[in-house]
Amino acid sequence: MTESKTGTVIVWMKSAGGITVTLSILIAIIAGIDSGPYIIVNTIVTGGMLALVALGLALIFGVMNIPMFAHGEFFMIGSLTAYYIFTPLAEYLNTSPNSLLAATAPLIAILGAMIVGAVAGLLCELLIFSQLRKRSRENWVMNSFLLTVGLSVVLINAHQLLFGTEFKGIVRYWGGRPTEIMGAFVSRDRILVFVLAMVVVGVFWLFMKYTSTGRAIRAVSQDQTGALMVGININGILLLTMALGCALSAIAGAGLLFLYPSYPAVGLEPLYLAWFVVILVGLGNTAFALVGGFIVALIKALTVEYIGAGWDFVIPSLLITVVLVFKPSGLFGSEVRGVLDL
Amino acid sequence: MKTNDSNMESGLADRIMDRLCLTPAAVAGIILLFVIPFIPPFNQQYMIRWLVAAALIGANAIAFDFTIGFINIVNFGYYAFLGFGGYTSAILAVNLGLSPWIGMIIGALFSGVLGLLTGLLTLRLRGIFAACMTWFLGLAMMGLITKMVWLTRGPLGLRCPQLFETSSNLPYYYLILSLLIVIYISTKWVTRSNMGLAFKAIGQNMEAARTSGINPVFYRIVNFTLSCTIAGLLGGFYAHYYGVLTPELLHTTKTVEVLAVAYIGGRGSLWGGAFIAFPFIITMELIRSSLSELPGLNLIIYGLMLMLVMIYYPGGFAEFFNTYLAKPKNRFLRYFLSGIKDS
Amino acid sequence: MLLEVKNINAGYGFLQILRDVSFNIDQGEYACVIGPNGAGKSTTMKTIAGLLSPMSGEIIFNGKNIAGLPGNQVARLGIGYISEDMNLFTNMTVQENLYMGAYVIKEKALKNDRLDFVYNLFTRLKNRKDQLAGTMSGGERKMLAIGRGLMANPKLLLVDEPSFGLAPQLMENVFDNLDILKEAGVTILLVEQNVTKALQVTTRGYVMENGKIFMKGLSSDLADDPHVRKVFLGV
Ligand SMILES: Nc1ncnc2c1ncn2[C@@H]1O[C@H](COP(=O)(O)OP(=O)(O)OP(=O)(O)O)[C@@H](O)[C@H]1O
Ligand SMILES: [Mg+2]
Repeated sequence: MTESKTGTVIVWMKSAGGITVTLSILIAIIAGIDSGPYIIVNTIVTGGMLALVALGLALIFGVMNIPMFAHGEFFMIGSLTAYYIFTPLAEYLNTSPNSLLAATAPLIAILGAMIVGAVAGLLCELLIFSQLRKRSRENWVMNSFLLTVGLSVVLINAHQLLFGTEFKGIVRYWGGRPTEIMGAFVSRDRILVFVLAMVVVGVFWLFMKYTSTGRAIRAVSQDQTGALMVGININGILLLTMALGCALSAIAGAGLLFLYPSYPAVGLEPLYLAWFVVILVGLGNTAFALVGGFIVALIKALTVEYIGAGWDFVIPSLLITVVLVFKPSGLFGSEVRGVLDL
Repeated sequence: MKTNDSNMESGLADRIMDRLCLTPAAVAGIILLFVIPFIPPFNQQYMIRWLVAAALIGANAIAFDFTIGFINIVNFGYYAFLGFGGYTSAILAVNLGLSPWIGMIIGALFSGVLGLLTGLLTLRLRGIFAACMTWFLGLAMMGLITKMVWLTRGPLGLRCPQLFETSSNLPYYYLILSLLIVIYISTKWVTRSNMGLAFKAIGQNMEAARTSGINPVFYRIVNFTLSCTIAGLLGGFYAHYYGVLTPELLHTTKTVEVLAVAYIGGRGSLWGGAFIAFPFIITMELIRSSLSELPGLNLIIYGLMLMLVMIYYPGGFAEFFNTYLAKPKNRFLRYFLSGIKDS
Repeated sequence: MLLEVKNINAGYGFLQILRDVSFNIDQGEYACVIGPNGAGKSTTMKTIAGLLSPMSGEIIFNGKNIAGLPGNQVARLGIGYISEDMNLFTNMTVQENLYMGAYVIKEKALKNDRLDFVYNLFTRLKNRKDQLAGTMSGGERKMLAIGRGLMANPKLLLVDEPSFGLAPQLMENVFDNLDILKEAGVTILLVEQNVTKALQVTTRGYVMENGKIFMKGLSSDLADDPHVRKVFLGV
């Protein structure tokens, strides 16, 4: 085949793949609207939290070049922490009601989870990634990926060893009567958690855009030498990035505790889904993580609704594989160069 | 004893060993592995079961290392290919009454073809994307097998006939041990050939390889297909040894196990993972069975070992062996360990 | 003496490039290093800027040995470095890039003062302040790189090939601006391919070949030196 012919074929495949993927998303959205508000509401709640996990993943990849496989485990750490903070608080509230504490207890739990997640991320960077960075930068992406694989195994089994395999969940955070939205009854927890996710995304975005530290994080992701030249302490930024990314995942875990009880492998599903999001919108592309979160949550919800439970891995996985084949840089392009070796 | 024997009849024995890519120490090790099921405490059935598991992981580690250690691609869906081969063979045996022996071969071919197709799709991507894609493809396949209950019985598990009509584990052990040796020698042959040089070149520096006229995608696909074929064959063995298949087999955690063994043994050495699998798996099984009140401990050790090796000693056991053990002062020992004679 | 480089040996991995390089620059001086391609000029600059750790030797800046200090700490001490390949933040706007240049300055007012100063030097940057750096033309990027290097108000400015890829008119503009900086009291170390120009604008020069300082002297003397004329000016 001549050079130009190959080129044309690839262009055609790319457009065909692009069309397939865009069409599936459109169909998904139309089907979503068609199938009633319940699906939409569900999608929006899980999508918001999923976006947080994906945001952390994209941040860590974009700045540190680490494809996190252990990101779900920070989700798990978050849900576990929230469980151990919230349960005693709830018990205390049962015996001595206090409306102020009742309103803030979930926030305390989520805040605690965020802090623990951030500290866990800090420790991982200090004990693991900075050690590898000191010793060898060769083949960094692959080696750091394998390190996170090991980390994931350790954290999952540490949970099993220390806290057991049973589900550690709660029934509700705030409780209260469900609100009616477009004919569907939505629990107050879902609404508040969604609001929380949006607030976190907003704060994160403002931080990255307008603060000096946020800009420094972006600078490091774009040119490490340049960042060093203007006086940025790279190691400090890397530490901060890891802590931020892991905290985002932990917030999601804590926020969704009333839907997903904590157990050793609870992080696997958010991990897969967050990876789907990140690949869908382009690795390292934080800007579109929110959109991607909703799209993937919708695809998943629709798969469960129309094709059946259990297929929700198959269809998204295949769809993402299609994206990877035809448009490896993601639907919305990407800042990461050199996806293709050719 | 053995050392002296091989020293005496130097010419022919040396040439044969060289052809088979073995050192005297390796030959001694193989002989030891053949007689070990008769040495207490290894002569008990549960021990032989562990030995089978170790040999299986060892063989998998070779096939896995063949990809990661040479073309620098992590086949994160390795066990999906293994499971695909296993399921193919099992379904053929259950539904068509095909002999498991033929089934294993067909399973291997099926996995090879699947590997070829996957390779065509994934291997033009940069390493990490290829890893993601094999991972997601593995997930999708696991989901499919779970859902195609009419064919695979899904999570209930597919029972399949065994290879030998005996309750002893011994014939299985000898079979998998022979497979291990054959797989080692054949992969070693490939890596010693011109093609092996191309693999190494691609793994080390894609750009340089390309400018020197190597088509990286072609060689990557060849390598990947071979590795998947071996995975399928071993999947067939798995099916007809354990006698039952569940979709969990295709899960990534299984791949992590092989990954850890391959890295601890020494990436890019082929023999390292195969060797280390025996002490490692048996220790792990000992830990698991003696500390059953601490579930998950063995996996924590797995993960920690993987991380420690990756950070502090990326060459693994093979590098340790080559730098500290392979060249002792004593001439006989040196010949024994490295197969090199100085005259 | 503002900067004194003493017997520096440096390189990449096992590959040694600089051998026993020594030179110095006084406060307020405008000096240059010239030499053929691959002589090690950029390597010298990187070593001073802290992007490369020397194997041995001392770099005394303001009386303090900074050899081996990481780049961000060197930058904080007041050494601005404008590298050959600019190292801009391509997905940030011009203004964000400039603000990043003043990362070590904490006071907002001071930052804005510097911004005005840079915009005054390069009015073109001001007109394009919301454009992404990655989408600028080569010449504009060079200006941005220089502007960013000035944002932190450095005591010593290391400039690596500021004229590379610039049209003659823009090049004049860049050198004029460097002159203005010199008048303002900034010490400048210039590395330049355009030897005629470099020897014209600077007061003192060093000639580097094969990783060694091969000659040194007043720029005007170097410009008249037969060896320099033969090798660099082709006369
Ligand atoms: N990152 C690197 N790794 C290895 N070698 C390098 C690296 N950077 C530069 N070199 C080598 O160091 C030598 C000196 O390079 P340097 O960039 O200092 O030259 P220079 O004098 O600035 O040349 P030019 O005028 O072309 O910019 C060259 O031989 C170059 O190949
Ligand atoms: Mg240079």
